[in-house]
Amino acid sequence: MLASKLSALAVSSSSSSNLFLNPQNRVNLSKKLPFITNPSLYNSLRPIVELNFRKNTSSRKMNASASSRIVSPRASAEQLKDPDQLIDSVETFIFDCDGVIWKGDKLIDGVPETLDLLRAKGKRLVFVTNNSTKSRKQYGKKFETLGLNVSEEEIFASSFAAAAYLKSIDFPKDKKVYVVGEDGILKELELAGIQYLGGPGDGEKKIELKPGFLMEHDKDVGAVVVGFDRHFNYYKVQYATLCIRENPGCLFIATNRDAVTHLTDAQEWAGGGSMVGAVFGSTQREPLVVGKPSTFMMDYLADKFNITKSQICMVGDRLDTDILFGQNGGCKTLLVLSGVTSLSKLQSPDNAIQPDFYTNKISDFLSLKAATV
Amino acid sequence: MDGEISKQRSEGKISSQPLNPQNTRNLIDSVDAFLFDCDGVIWKGDSLIDGVPETLEKLRSMGKKLVFVTNNSRKSRKQYAKKFNSLGISVSEDEIFSSSYAAAMYLKVNDFPKEKKVYVIGEEGISEELALAGFTSLGGTEDGKKTIDLRPNFLVEHDKSVGAVVVGLDQYINYYKLQYGTLCIRENPGCLFIATNRDAVGHMTNLQEWPGAGCMVAAICGSTQKEPIVVGKPSTFLMEFLLQKFNIPTSRMCMVGDRLDTDILFGQNAGCRTLLVLSGVTSFSSLRDPSNNIQPEYYTSTVSDIIRT
Repeated sequence: MLASKLSALAVSSSSSSNLFLNPQNRVNLSKKLPFITNPSLYNSLRPIVELNFRKNTSSRKMNASASSRIVSPRASAEQLKDPDQLIDSVETFIFDCDGVIWKGDKLIDGVPETLDLLRAKGKRLVFVTNNSTKSRKQYGKKFETLGLNVSEEEIFASSFAAAAYLKSIDFPKDKKVYVVGEDGILKELELAGIQYLGGPGDGEKKIELKPGFLMEHDKDVGAVVVGFDRHFNYYKVQYATLCIRENPGCLFIATNRDAVTHLTDAQEWAGGGSMVGAVFGSTQREPLVVGKPSTFMMDYLADKFNITKSQICMVGDRLDTDILFGQNGGCKTLLVLSGVTSLSKLQSPDNAIQPDFYTNKISDFLSLKAATV
Repeated sequence: MDGEISKQRSEGKISSQPLNPQNTRNLIDSVDAFLFDCDGVIWKGDSLIDGVPETLEKLRSMGKKLVFVTNNSRKSRKQYAKKFNSLGISVSEDEIFSSSYAAAMYLKVNDFPKEKKVYVIGEEGISEELALAGFTSLGGTEDGKKTIDLRPNFLVEHDKSVGAVVVGLDQYINYYKLQYGTLCIRENPGCLFIATNRDAVGHMTNLQEWPGAGCMVAAICGSTQKEPIVVGKPSTFLMEFLLQKFNIPTSRMCMVGDRLDTDILFGQNAGCRTLLVLSGVTSFSSLRDPSNNIQPEYYTSTVSDIIRT
C-alpha cells in the first residue's frame, strides 16, 4: 500500500533516475512508516498540474445564450454581492499576503479594519504565503510593522512548509539539507532542528570549468530544498544537481513554483518557479511542491487547528496558486483584484480556473452592498 | 534506411546492436559522411578521448566527409576550430555546426529585423555568432556581473527593442539575467524565446558532469510559462545546413553521439544511421534500461572502435 502511495507521488515525464519512485532503492529515511498516521499529508504533495480545460471554453461561451446548455466543470465566478452571507458561511479565512494584504511593503487600503471585523465576528484568520524569503517570525514582524495584529502561529510561509514536511517524514537527524534559497528557509530549518548547507552564502562561490577542477558535494545531504533565490548561480545548481543525482534517495523539494512575484511594488519579478525550473532542467526530476497550489499547508493547518475544510474560505490574488489551492482543498474561494490578476484575465477564454467569488479587495467586506468593479 | 525501421528504433522496438567487424565494414561502406557530437565523443572537457585523431584521419583517407555537430553553445565555430587545432586535429570552421551558430542562423533564415536586438543568456559563442550574422546583442557574459537590489520602487529597465531572447549554457547565470530575459519575453510583443539546446547535463570538464543549457532554459520556462524554439539537437534545424553543404542523402550519413535524447534522436529524426558511443554521458545500463525508448542502430565503447573492429 505504501508502494502505491509512493508511486502516486511524482507526476514525472522523465525517464531518468527513478531512485525516488522505487521504494527498494530508497534509503530508509524514516524509522516508522511515515504516513500511516496522516496519509492525506503525503498525498497532498502530489505536484498539482494545472487543469487544462481549454476544450471546454466554447461550452462556457454557449452558457451565456440560454438555449443549449452544456455543463462546464465549474460555473463562472460570481461578483461578491453579499459579503455577510459569505462570512457567516465559513469559520476560517485563509489569506494570501502579496497582492491581498500588502503590495511590496505597502499595506493595501482597508486591510486592518477588515481583519478586525472578521475577528470580531469570531472568525479564525490564517495567512498562507508562497514567499519563502522570510521565516514565520520575520513575517510576524512585517505584520507588526504594518500595524496589523497577527501572531506567528497564524502565519504559514512556504519556508515553514518545507521544514514542516521534513519533520513530518522524520527526516533523519544525521542527514543534511542543501538549500537553494534565502534566509527564511534557513531559519525554519534551524527551528526544526535540521542541519543545512548552502543558502545565500553560496551565492559568493565561483566555479571554474577547467581541467582537473572537481566540485565535491556532501554525501550526507538527504534533501535539496529550492525556493526563490536572488543569489542564484551556477555553483548552487551544480551542488543541488550532484546531491539529487548521486545521493541515494535524496529528496527534491520546492517551496513553490510561482512564475513571477511582486517582490517590489514597481514590477513583477521572476519567482521561485525559475529556480525550481533550473534544478528540474538539470536533474529531469519533478520536485515535491510544499507551497500552493499543493494542499500540504492546507492539510497541515486543518489538522493542527482541527478545522473542516468546507468551513474555510481561501482569499487570494492568483488563480493558479491561491484559487487552485482552495479548490484542491475543497474550500470556498474568493479572488481579489488587488494583486496580479485583473478582471479581464479572470474572464479570458484562456482561463479555466473559476473561483466562487471575486471582488476588488478584501475591504469590500466592510461595505454592506457590493462594491462596483 | 526505412522511415519505418527508424520509427521502430525510436520507439525502442528494435534493440541496438554492438559493432562487430562485419557490420562496421558494412556501415562504413554505406555511409558518405560521419556526423560527430563533440563532448563525450571527441573530448571530455579539454581532454581528448583516446584514439580520436587516428580515427578521424583514417575516415578522411577513406574519402568520408566529417562534420561536427555540437549542442555546446559556449564557443563559436571559429573558437571550436581553434580548440580542435590545439588538440592536434585539423578541422575547418565550416565543418563545425554548433548550437551557437544554429541560433544565429535561425534568426537569419527567419528574417529577424536588423533594428531589433537579441538578449543573450549564455556565453561568448552565442554573442560572437550573432555579431558575425550582423545582429546586435545585449547581455551575455557581461551581465554576469550585474546585481539587483530588491528595495521599494527599484525597477529593472529593459530594452523595448529586444525581439528575441537566446538561452544557452551559462556558467555566469544570475538573477539579473533571469529577470531581464523574463521581462523581454513577457512584455515585448512578439519577442521570441530561443533555446540553443536543452541538454540536462554535460561533461564541461573531464572529471564530472555539469548542468547544461537545459537548466537555464527551464529556468526561463519557469518564469515565463512559455516553451522555447529549440535550434540544437534533437531538432533537425541544423540538418538543413548540412544538406546544403553536402549533396548527400541523410540515409548515407551516420550520426555518432553519446546522448540518446539529443544525438541519437537527432539522427533518427533526420533519417540517418546512428551509432551510440559509451564514452560520454550514457552507460550500457541506461541504454538497456526498460524506461529507455531510444534505440540507436549500433552502440560501441568509443569512436576508435570504428577503425579497430
